[in-house]
Amino acid sequence: MVGLYLLTLLAMVTVVFGLPRALPGDPLVALQDRAGSSAISAETTAHLRSYYALDRPLEYQYRHYLSRLGRGDLGWSISRNVRVTRLIGGHLPWTLLLLGTAFTIAAVLSFLTGVAAAWRRGRPLDRALLVAMTGLRALPPYVLAALLLIVLAVLVPAFPLAGARTPFAAYSSPLGVVGDVGGHLVLPATALSLSLLSTKFLIVRNAMISSLGQDYMVLGRAKGLPVRVLKYRHGGRNALLPFVAAMGAEVGFAVGFSIFVESVFAYPGMGALILRGVETRDYPVLEGAFLVLGALVLILNLGAELVMSRLDPRVAGR
Amino acid sequence: MTVATAGVARPARSHEFRLPRIGWVGVAILLGFATVALVAPALAPYRVGALSGPPLEGPGSAHLLGTNSVGHDLLSQLLSGVRVAMFGAFVAGTGTALVGGAIGLLAGWWGGIVDLVLMRIADVLLVIPRLPLLIVVITYAGTGRGMVALTIALTFWPEAAKVLRVQVLTLRHRTHVTAAMGFGAGAWHSMRRHVLPEVGLVLVAALVAAAGRAVMLQVGLAFLGLDDANRASWGSVMRGALKFQGLFFTRAWVWWLLPPLVAIGLLLAGLTFVGTAVEEWVNPRLARHSIVGRS
Repeated sequence: MVGLYLLTLLAMVTVVFGLPRALPGDPLVALQDRAGSSAISAETTAHLRSYYALDRPLEYQYRHYLSRLGRGDLGWSISRNVRVTRLIGGHLPWTLLLLGTAFTIAAVLSFLTGVAAAWRRGRPLDRALLVAMTGLRALPPYVLAALLLIVLAVLVPAFPLAGARTPFAAYSSPLGVVGDVGGHLVLPATALSLSLLSTKFLIVRNAMISSLGQDYMVLGRAKGLPVRVLKYRHGGRNALLPFVAAMGAEVGFAVGFSIFVESVFAYPGMGALILRGVETRDYPVLEGAFLVLGALVLILNLGAELVMSRLDPRVAGR
Repeated sequence: MTVATAGVARPARSHEFRLPRIGWVGVAILLGFATVALVAPALAPYRVGALSGPPLEGPGSAHLLGTNSVGHDLLSQLLSGVRVAMFGAFVAGTGTALVGGAIGLLAGWWGGIVDLVLMRIADVLLVIPRLPLLIVVITYAGTGRGMVALTIALTFWPEAAKVLRVQVLTLRHRTHVTAAMGFGAGAWHSMRRHVLPEVGLVLVAALVAAAGRAVMLQVGLAFLGLDDANRASWGSVMRGALKFQGLFFTRAWVWWLLPPLVAIGLLLAGLTFVGTAVEEWVNPRLARHSIVGRS
C-alpha cells in the first residue's frame, strides 16, 4: 500500500514538472504572456532560466527539480515575490483548523446517525435521514455554504459574514481570541461537515444493517444486554472498518470541498491562496498548494490505513 | 412488497423497465433545463456583457431579475449559465462516462498487465486531491469550456471505470461468453454482443453520476474564476455577488446570489432523482431501503 502512495507522490510531482514543459513553447514565455501587466525583463528571464535550470537537458531539469523539492523549496510567488513556502505556511494552519473541525464533526455525526438509522431501518427516522442525506449529497459544497451564509449570517445575523477573525480587534484575553476564531469557524466548518456527512452515513448504515441480522446480536439480545451496548459495542463496532476506509477515501474530496467553502466565506486558508493564485495566474503558488495539499492527503490516507490495520489485523496482511 | 420465498421464482426484471415516479420528475426537470439551454439566446433580453441599466436595480419590468453592481442584466447571465451548466452535464458528464467505461471495459476484459496498469492509474487519481489538480491543469491548459470539460473527463473517470470493470470481470468468464469465444467469436464481437448489453444500465447509472459531478465541477470552477470570461455562468454570477463588498448591506443578494443557487440546486435535484431511479433498475435490492417508495 505504501508503494501506491509513493507512486502517487511521484505522479503529482511529475505532473507539476511536466505540465508547463509539455505545452508548446517555453515555460517562461507562458509565464510572461499570462502574468498580465508585470512584464518580465530580460535579466529576470535569464535569472529564472538558470534558477529552474531550463537551459539544461530535461533529465537534468527533473533531477534538479526533485532536489529542489527535497530541500523544501517550492519556488517564488510571481505576483507577490515571496517564497511559496512562506505563503503556504501562513495559510495552511487555517485550512487544517477548518478541515480538522469539519472532519471530526462529520465523523461523529455520520456514525451516530448511521447507527441510529440502521437500528430503526424502514421507520420514519431512517427515511427522514435518508432523504436529508441524499439532499446533502446532491448539493455542491459552495451552494450549502452560501445557503448557510444567507440563513445564519444575513437573515439571522448570528455569525460573522466572512474571514477567520475580526480585523483590527484588540483582545483583552486569550479567551477572546479563541471565542473570535471559534465564532468565525462555525459556519464554514458546518458547511464543510454537512457536505462530508452523507457518504459515511450511508456506509455506516449499510454495514450496521448487515451486522444486525448476525447470530451474536440475537444472542446479545437474549442475554439481556442493554440496548446501548448492543448498538455500539456489538453492532456499531463492525461498521468501524468500512467507516475508517471511507474517511481515508474522502480526504481528497474534503480538501477540494474546503477550497469551495473557504471561497464562499473568504476564509484565509489554502482556498484563499489558490483563489488569489488563480486570479493572478501565479503558477508556482498553485503548484505548491497542490503539492502540499496532495502530501497532506497522502499522509492522512496512510493514517487511515494504519488505523484500519489496528482495527482488523487482516487488513495489514493484504 | 412481497417477501420472496424459496421455490417462488422472482419475476424476471431485466426487460421490464419501469421508471419510479421520482425518476420521471427528474427527467422532466432535465428536459426543462435542456429546452431552456437550447432557446436561451432567444429568451435572453440583453447581451451578457451589455451595460443594460442602472447598477443594483431590483427586479422590475425592464430587468426581471434585476442588475448587478455594474448594470449587467442578471436574467440574461442566468440564462447563459443554463447553457454552461448543461454543456458541463452533457459533454463533461458523457466524456467522463465514456472514458471510464472504455477503460473499465478494457481492464475487465483483458485483465493481466493491462488491468494492473490501468487500475494503478485509477488508484493514483482516486487518492490525489483532484480539485487542486484540476485547478493547476486548467490554469495551464486554458479555461475554455471545452477544455474544462476535457480536463474533468480525464481526471474523474476512475469511478466509472471501477464499476464497469467489476461488471465486465463477472461476465467475462460466464459460460455463454466462453462458448461464444469457443465458436470463434472475436473479442470485439463478444464484447459488443454479450457484454455491452449487460452493462448498459450500469453505464447509464455511471453517466448520470458523472453528469452531476461534472455540473458541480464546471460551475464550481467558474465560481473560483476558472471559466470563459465571455460567457456568464452560475458560478461566475455567484463569484461576482460574493466579491461585491456591499452585497449583504442591501437586498441585492435576493436577486443576485439566490437565483444561481436555486438553479444549481434544481438541476442537481433533477439529476439526483434520475440517478436514484436508475440505481434502482440496476440494483433492485436497493429498493427496499431507498428513499423511493415502491410503486
